[in-house]
Amino acid sequence: MSGGVDSSVAASLLADAGHDVVGCTLKLWGGESDAGCCSAADVDDARRVAQVLGIDHHVFNLAERFEADVVDPYVAAHARGETPNPCVACNRSIKFGELLSRASRLGFDALATGHHARVVREGPIPQLRRGADAGKDQSYVLGFLGVEELARLVLPVGELTKAEVRARAHAAGLRTAAKPDSQEVCFIPRKGRGRFLAERTALTPGVVVERASGVELGTVPAVELVTVGQRRGIGPGHGGVARYVADVDPSTATIYVTTREELDVAHVDLAPDSLRWSGAPRTLPARVLVQASAHGPALAATLSDGDGLIAVLDRAARPAAPGQLAVFYDHEDPDLVLGAATVARRALAAA
Amino acid sequence: MTESRRAERDRELLYFDHAASAPRREEVLLAMAPYTRGVVGNPTGSHRAARAARLALDDAREEVAALTGSLPGGVVFTGGGTESCNEAVFGVAADRARRGRPSRLVVSSIEHHAVLDAARRLARGLLAAPVEVVELPVGRDGVVDLARARALLEGADLVSVMTANNEVGTVQPIAAIAALARDVAADVVVHTDAVAAAPWADLVVAAEGADLVTICGHKLGGPVGVGALCLRREVTLAPLLVGGGQERGRRAGTPDVAAAVGLATALRLAGEERAGAFARTAARRDQLAKLLTSALDGVTQTVPSGELLPGTCHVLVDGVASEELVYLCDEAGLCVSAASSCASGATTQSHVLAAMGVDGALARGSLRLSIGAGTSDEEVERAAGIVVAAVRRLRAGAG
Repeated sequence: MSGGVDSSVAASLLADAGHDVVGCTLKLWGGESDAGCCSAADVDDARRVAQVLGIDHHVFNLAERFEADVVDPYVAAHARGETPNPCVACNRSIKFGELLSRASRLGFDALATGHHARVVREGPIPQLRRGADAGKDQSYVLGFLGVEELARLVLPVGELTKAEVRARAHAAGLRTAAKPDSQEVCFIPRKGRGRFLAERTALTPGVVVERASGVELGTVPAVELVTVGQRRGIGPGHGGVARYVADVDPSTATIYVTTREELDVAHVDLAPDSLRWSGAPRTLPARVLVQASAHGPALAATLSDGDGLIAVLDRAARPAAPGQLAVFYDHEDPDLVLGAATVARRALAAA
Repeated sequence: MTESRRAERDRELLYFDHAASAPRREEVLLAMAPYTRGVVGNPTGSHRAARAARLALDDAREEVAALTGSLPGGVVFTGGGTESCNEAVFGVAADRARRGRPSRLVVSSIEHHAVLDAARRLARGLLAAPVEVVELPVGRDGVVDLARARALLEGADLVSVMTANNEVGTVQPIAAIAALARDVAADVVVHTDAVAAAPWADLVVAAEGADLVTICGHKLGGPVGVGALCLRREVTLAPLLVGGGQERGRRAGTPDVAAAVGLATALRLAGEERAGAFARTAARRDQLAKLLTSALDGVTQTVPSGELLPGTCHVLVDGVASEELVYLCDEAGLCVSAASSCASGATTQSHVLAAMGVDGALARGSLRLSIGAGTSDEEVERAAGIVVAAVRRLRAGAG
């Protein structure tokens, strides 16, 4: 229970269905931001909802682990020129890692969250599917979960639209009914990513270079803050044409830019050992829809492991940022999650 | 949890968290009752109703003064232990600052946050003059290291060392620290947070040498929301709360007569019962510790010897997380504490254990059980059984 409306309603639905439910809020970060999610105010909101629902509520302090498994890698990834997704790291290590083991040790049969996604238990293997509300689907951040985790995961709000969730919260008299969704990374103050990183790692000024010609177009104050695909903050277009970041090379502090037309690439390189199947493994090559960012499109592709792990796109598209999670959905059954892997930085050799 | 399971669990409550809040005493309630309903005059008024309230307040004041060895008019009733500690720290530092002087605040590294945070906040620049905070180290035995204290005490304006530590129960050498301080610091004010010690120690003796003594109601089985800052000698303190000038200008706000009466009653009862209660409670605590350490491997008393509060049993449990242990104990109806907690209800890492040099991994499995004079042998047996079962279950892993 994060203190948000989704987890509030998830708890409410389970309690109404007669399950023996205990609510828990994680204390993960006591630092400056304390505002995005799970702040002291959020803990209070979650606790109050639990009280109204008549269920016990506990606060678990996993801050030490969060710092080690989410925050530190977040900083390190930036230093490597990657674009990490800390929410995925938190899900892996904390929510569906430590918390899931703790729940087991304390005698619980399942862990429930307010994520907008569905676990469908029709056959022997549980399936992870997109939530009913396409605009709010959060299956992406759960894409790395495997069979053991899905077997013990309950997602009560996945069948509802966001509007239905809020309506239920209102009907149940929950104080979080109208609470806005938290959008930011929970440990970073709004628009404070640069300062947050500057306090923890050296930021390197870099040069912006036109990929095709090798011409230097300008500089940026921090290479680590630049993401593949970004257009803003890398200086004015050369000759009035907008430039996009095609690649970031932290070893030389160089940002390669190109025009919109030349930006698109026809594949997504993936880290070879990072593939994890959600259910039964599929034989490769397999036809998939690959989504490489939390709110990005799911693109038709063929996932293969012939020459390294790679998703070859049917149509070229904006490059995926190294460090992001790539989630694969079934090409014939687009709501079904097949598995996930981590986007790798492609060797610069083939331009 | 279903409604019937919850009701059953509450009926069999085993309360082993007296150090967090002691069960409210019936005698206290009775003493307070007349001042909780009907006409209760505002003690600052000039009519007979005010005088009646004033009388009760001042009788309570004198009682607390006598029990703590303080000046007859030197007891300031406050809103609790935290406020009293804050006032001691702020009172001295702000008094220096308003005279243009910097201040050096020397506090033990195991003080309650009511002292530590109050001091640190001032050091970050709240007052017009600079404030320096210095921490006195403690040994692995949880006692202020006197040998290293002397140099650190030089030039102190305030020294604040608790009479006994609330987490691990270790008693501090207040008289020795006060004597050392006066040796090396002219004008020093010595404060001691006696919140944890008050139920068990004669403060006249245990806090000997201190100029300011803090106590609070609810650790004594009195009401929560009331405490006192007791002055042993005339000390000029800048007030935290200003307004109507009550409590001789030291703490503004209409005094809570009922609460003051409750506090005085609770303190008096503790004193009257102490002789027998101390020994009986210590024996039960020792039995509890023995049951835990003998039934399980990898369980040790955090402070195995030395002068300790009789009700506190603090152990380090290898291979389990405090939060999980507290959870399983709670599920079985046993209320215990994991190290320290913050207002959100989460467990925080204990600065006390860190200051004592307890290994981080061990500290993660810390557990405090605290009993009172009324805890029975049978309850001790049951509690030990619950803890042992919980530890075994957690060590066995998933299930």
